Amino acid sequence: MSEMKKIKNLKEFSTSADRFEGANLLCPGCAHSIIVREVLNATNDDLVLAASTGCLEVCTAVYPYTSWDASWIHIGFENGSTAVSGAEAMYKALKTKGRLKQPDRNPKFVAFGGDGASYDIGFQWISGCMERNHDMMYVVLDNEVYANTGGQRSSSTPIGASATTTPAGSISYGETRNKKDMMGIMAAHNIPYAAQVAPNKWKDMVKKIQKGFATEGAVFINAVSPCTTEWKFDPKDTMHLADLATDTLVFPLYEIIDGHELNITYRPKNVVPVEEYLAAQGRFRHLFKDEYKYLIKEWQERVDANWAYLNRREEARV
Amino acid sequence: MENNGWNEFEIGAMLRTFDGAIEDIAGTRQEDRNYTQNSSFTASVADWRLEKPVFNKDYCIDCQFCWVYCPDISIISRDKKVIGVDMDHCKGCGICVEVCPTNPKSLLMFSEQTDEESAIAGWPTKEDKEK
Amino acid sequence: MAFDKLELNETEVWDGNHAAAQALRQAQVDVVSAYPITPSTAIVEGYAKFKSDNLVEGEFVMVESEHAAMSGCIGAAAAGGRVATATASQGLALMAETLYQASGMRLPIVLNIVNRALAAPLNVNCDHSDMYMVRDSGWIQFDAFNPQEAYDLNLIAFKVAEDHDVRLPVVVNQDGFLTSHTAQGIHPLSDDDAYNFVGEYKPMNDMLDFENPVTHGVQTEEDWHFEHKARQHSDTMNIVPGKIDEVFAEFEKLSGRKYSQLECYNMDDADVAVVCMGTSVETAREVALEMREKGIKAGVVGIRVLRPFPFANIAEVLKDIKAVAALDRSAPGGAAGALFNEIAGALFNTDSKMLLSGYIYGLGGRDLTKKHLVDLYTELQANADAGKLLTQQQQFIGVRGPKLAFL
Repeated sequence: MSEMKKIKNLKEFSTSADRFEGANLLCPGCAHSIIVREVLNATNDDLVLAASTGCLEVCTAVYPYTSWDASWIHIGFENGSTAVSGAEAMYKALKTKGRLKQPDRNPKFVAFGGDGASYDIGFQWISGCMERNHDMMYVVLDNEVYANTGGQRSSSTPIGASATTTPAGSISYGETRNKKDMMGIMAAHNIPYAAQVAPNKWKDMVKKIQKGFATEGAVFINAVSPCTTEWKFDPKDTMHLADLATDTLVFPLYEIIDGHELNITYRPKNVVPVEEYLAAQGRFRHLFKDEYKYLIKEWQERVDANWAYLNRREEARV
Repeated sequence: MENNGWNEFEIGAMLRTFDGAIEDIAGTRQEDRNYTQNSSFTASVADWRLEKPVFNKDYCIDCQFCWVYCPDISIISRDKKVIGVDMDHCKGCGICVEVCPTNPKSLLMFSEQTDEESAIAGWPTKEDKEK
Repeated sequence: MAFDKLELNETEVWDGNHAAAQALRQAQVDVVSAYPITPSTAIVEGYAKFKSDNLVEGEFVMVESEHAAMSGCIGAAAAGGRVATATASQGLALMAETLYQASGMRLPIVLNIVNRALAAPLNVNCDHSDMYMVRDSGWIQFDAFNPQEAYDLNLIAFKVAEDHDVRLPVVVNQDGFLTSHTAQGIHPLSDDDAYNFVGEYKPMNDMLDFENPVTHGVQTEEDWHFEHKARQHSDTMNIVPGKIDEVFAEFEKLSGRKYSQLECYNMDDADVAVVCMGTSVETAREVALEMREKGIKAGVVGIRVLRPFPFANIAEVLKDIKAVAALDRSAPGGAAGALFNEIAGALFNTDSKMLLSGYIYGLGGRDLTKKHLVDLYTELQANADAGKLLTQQQQFIGVRGPKLAFL
């Protein structure tokens, strides 16, 4: 076990030497790279990284450029998790056989994928990696939509969002299904650590990532990633949207240890009405028509119920 | 990078970030790294910008909100102090200005053509906080 | 090394799957990422058992699908070590996406395909439709005709794939059940000889070299993609054949067993010849000898290396043959057979007056009998005597019902 990087406060964090580079092709104001930076800068250990096909991948490794200062691999849309699990297996094999070039390192194996790559097409692959309990971390950059291909719904898209394949229209309010509970499903693999994080709560995020890196075994991280392009807000407001996501409790921040011990890690002092979160995004604009206002009420009830559920889980320690 | 012919690059479309080995990458600052021309660090997205952030040291409290929330690794901090904006990598999203907590702000957006001196000369004074 | 070696007998009785598993053990494969499927499962089960018995050191990753199996192999190979797996049929179909990724990323993985028919209708027995499906996936492809060759070609495969001038993945095909489950006398190399032949894995562009980070699996669009694919094809065409010959020669020196890209039997003075793959090669050899007793100068060409296809070699071997049959063990899907097309292409711009006919046979494990081949050689001789094709260019053999012929 390597020594954990000391990050007491933001000033100390800012001394990190980034291993993710600018002049990548992500949209101005994209939260993906904010999340990636917070994850990568949480450690000084060596990194072996993977990305599934998606915004992060197509914007950071377009020949002849790479934005990665650590070894990185992309194979396909569904298998970023398995790519890293293979590399982790090779690391173990070469360690056993005494063939590592730099045997005294403590590399961290991390795979990134969007919600399309994670909740949908790569679901089985991630499940396999978690079940096999590879010493790796899987991070979902959850922007609740297939953003790279232009805004189609995924199983992470929440009720009422207008996506290109569930467009709002004269007789439709957009997506009709609730978002898949990926945290619950992943925790049900009884993995040692699963956590939901948000880039605005950098300290909570770094703490969880460090906890994940210190954990031997599979770690699942779900990170909310406000998408300026598909959620339809001004690029400058990315952090405002992240604040709304956490402070409305639409994206509650919590962790689940060993599949059962749930801890809520952030309790907003002033809980903001969900309506404000919805109102800040073009994808929900149609919900403010009279005929759909009941959906806003239902949204609030759903978020309240989920928060109550998480609190009961935390209290019950089961 | 020039458009090489098929026989002029590494197999498998593999890219290397650095020329030569770096023993401790996380312990080496960008200015001390030997990037290849394949690292996007050597590229520029300055032409994406419509507006640019200007940094005014006078009001900065080095809270580092702009550093941590910059998606483009464009707030340059050294020894816990913000020292400037990397104008090759900044896409002009404006997040740094939004998250800046000082009054007046230490970062403001200006048109791409504005020169820094006149921007700073005309910097707004302290405003009463909106309620 | 902490693991135990095996003392092998001069002759061991192994089936094709066990022979391949023994080769993986002797090559000291670092990572096997695998998913079970009939009839290939025993290969990776073999590696798992060797590992459990401390006869090999490495990681055995039992994943949740064939797609994940090859994905894990790609991650492991890019990390920098020796990697192998096995699959067949539907598993290969599911894996197909990743095969192109492995070869495009120039990762030296060895994949055993134990050839089996593709559904529908579902079938577990041998034909070559899985082999054919991935023939243009950029992998080097060997074909073993019996268990001994399955063993030998696995050792050869690592040595070819991992060569730094090659760095391409290799498929070793063997016939499902006919080879994979048929035990025969095998002459293995000793553990030391086998490992020394394959050699220690030499990393290249390895992700686990933390001081020299690499980016694998980039995107290339219209301004770069063509050049990368051109480079891969150029290396496959210009470097790989010579390397294969070199490794075959080295293997012969060590084992006394000689391999060629095309295996030719009684071809020097032949008038008629059958070109085929897999276990059919051995049946055809036996029948060809019997035909010679009947006065028909029959020969056989077995395709040892399907990719890169030995285009010039086959034109040379067949140039003076009067009538040739291309045997394709795969439903042709609205075309002439793949082997028929390859041979026709190889001979087209030559002076050869060869008469070529195609035969579709053995689908879903249907036997190719000696009787079929006797009839086939007889038909070829009739073509040769007439100086023209007396049949249609594509015929089905061994199928019930009225005679099926096309083209």
